[in-house]
Amino acid sequence: MKEKKKSKSQILRLTLILFLVSALTSGVLGYTNSLTADRIKEQKQQATAKAYNEVLPFEGDYVEVTEFDKASFPTVDTISKAGEEGYVVEMTFSGAQGNITAVVGVDSSHKATGVSVISHSETPSLGARITEEGFRAKFVGAEEGTALKNAGGTIEAITSATISSQAIVDSVNTAIAAVVALG
Amino acid sequence: MSIKKQFRDGLIDNNPVLVQRLGLCSTMAITTTLFNGIGMGISVLIILTCCNVVISAMRKIIPNDIRIAIFVVVIAGFVTIVDLLLQAFVPALSASLGVFIPLIVVNCIIIGRAEAFCQNEPVIPSFFDGIFQGIGYTVTLVLMCIVRELLGNGSFGGGLLDVSQGALRLTLDGSGSGIQVFSSEYAATILIMPFGGFLTLAVLLAAMQFALRKADEKKEKALRAAKVLVDEEVAA
Amino acid sequence: MLASVISISIGAILINNFIFSKFLGCCPFLGCSTKVDTAVGMGIAVTFVMGLASAICYVVDGLLRNLGLEYMNTLAFILVIAVLVQLVEMFLKKSIPSLYNALGIYLPLITTNCAVLGVVLLNVQYKYNFIESVTYGITGGLGFMLAIVLFASVRERVQFAEYPESFEGFPIALVTAGLLALAFMGFSGMKLG
Repeated sequence: MKEKKKSKSQILRLTLILFLVSALTSGVLGYTNSLTADRIKEQKQQATAKAYNEVLPFEGDYVEVTEFDKASFPTVDTISKAGEEGYVVEMTFSGAQGNITAVVGVDSSHKATGVSVISHSETPSLGARITEEGFRAKFVGAEEGTALKNAGGTIEAITSATISSQAIVDSVNTAIAAVVALG
Repeated sequence: MSIKKQFRDGLIDNNPVLVQRLGLCSTMAITTTLFNGIGMGISVLIILTCCNVVISAMRKIIPNDIRIAIFVVVIAGFVTIVDLLLQAFVPALSASLGVFIPLIVVNCIIIGRAEAFCQNEPVIPSFFDGIFQGIGYTVTLVLMCIVRELLGNGSFGGGLLDVSQGALRLTLDGSGSGIQVFSSEYAATILIMPFGGFLTLAVLLAAMQFALRKADEKKEKALRAAKVLVDEEVAA
Repeated sequence: MLASVISISIGAILINNFIFSKFLGCCPFLGCSTKVDTAVGMGIAVTFVMGLASAICYVVDGLLRNLGLEYMNTLAFILVIAVLVQLVEMFLKKSIPSLYNALGIYLPLITTNCAVLGVVLLNVQYKYNFIESVTYGITGGLGFMLAIVLFASVRERVQFAEYPESFEGFPIALVTAGLLALAFMGFSGMKLG
């Protein structure tokens, strides 16, 4: 009986210590977060803003279009209108290794003006080369129905990274289709 | 235990990856460019040193029954701090290592050192242990990166170095494409892929076993020679 | 819904296998694979923990998100996993002692199995909903089990093979795992839906 009582107080003590350590850690984390939160947000906004400007340079504000057919275009996150220049479509879709977040610019005549990858987890030196200028430049002026060379199209896939290349081709087509659907 | 011995331990005799075989997941997963390797190595070095110091300082008040839980909480705390700092100040590294930064929490090196070393040793040796084991880990990662990048892509220093207009530049934002030693057309791309991770680590481990065995044999030979000498003297 | 469940399952088991393509969970994979029986037990235990952890961590993540404490994710997840593993350990010790003994030190080490923490972090990253998260957890675990059982069967044979002395033990096991990874790369061209 006595032993049981002792073990009970022991458990209480252990719980208390664990709780204290956790509370202390959470406090330190909260402090670090308060120091870094603004900067992280800023960094993310900057990266997105840079990508938007890269695919469709525009002086004014990109205005988000709230009404688009999400059910038909599940990979599209947002569509923003860049004045009369056209639209920038932000999308998240799966590549070879994980999700890719990219923006595609589409001009008023429904041609792509550029692609920029915001985040991805493709293999470095292989799929990761979708971020390279040389590959992305191939999509400038692309129309709906763009395809890789092995599927009878004009875009040359990155060596040993057909899946990542195909993912970008698909995203460009989706972006154009989504903008066309806007009317 | 002297600092010199600890240094040798961390780098060679008790290298966390090559001898203790801890933290293999990250060793194989992220060693595709030098930028990733060095970034990961330094992150682990910092976290390991901090955790070692804190755990060693608390070693007298941590109850034995729940030590693992407390280790994990402390480690998770430091990992989150480093994760937040990287996101804020080196977003390129945070983006390219992705989920492997929070996964440092379950990197066996840190919990392994806490269990094997810090819970019995004072703060200062634990501090050096963290630094030297961290260096040992980083050096192994860098070796893996160099081999895989060179043979798999024909380049050196991907993400970290950039050659433009004949000038060599250090790119700390991970944008550099490295020095192309030979055309990537002739490279064995397979080494960049998962298979290459397994194979490169296997060869490194084998080389280490070979070296350690040779060193042992040498020691034994010297010992035997000395013994023979003593025997001869006795006989004489 | 069904389509996404099927595509997640095939992706997690074959195409992006946790071991062979993501390198998550290598420690128990290499340490606990000398016998097929142990490997099966380990696989079942990990699958169970991964499925359950995915479900609970989905709720925890939602809670933290509402409170604006997303940065505490990692800490909260690892605590949930540690408690879960403890429960599994207690359960096994009572009901299946033979398996408990066979798994030995690797049972508490499921806590530090990167596949478990990896799957819950990836659930958050991929923005999976509850059903998708649980599916990803369970099938990720099944993928781990497939990998470790295949690997253990090959390793039992490798014991009788001849190889350079320096490759004894871990290195030859890694080469074997690498060859399996090569075989699994064949699935990477598969595309669903």
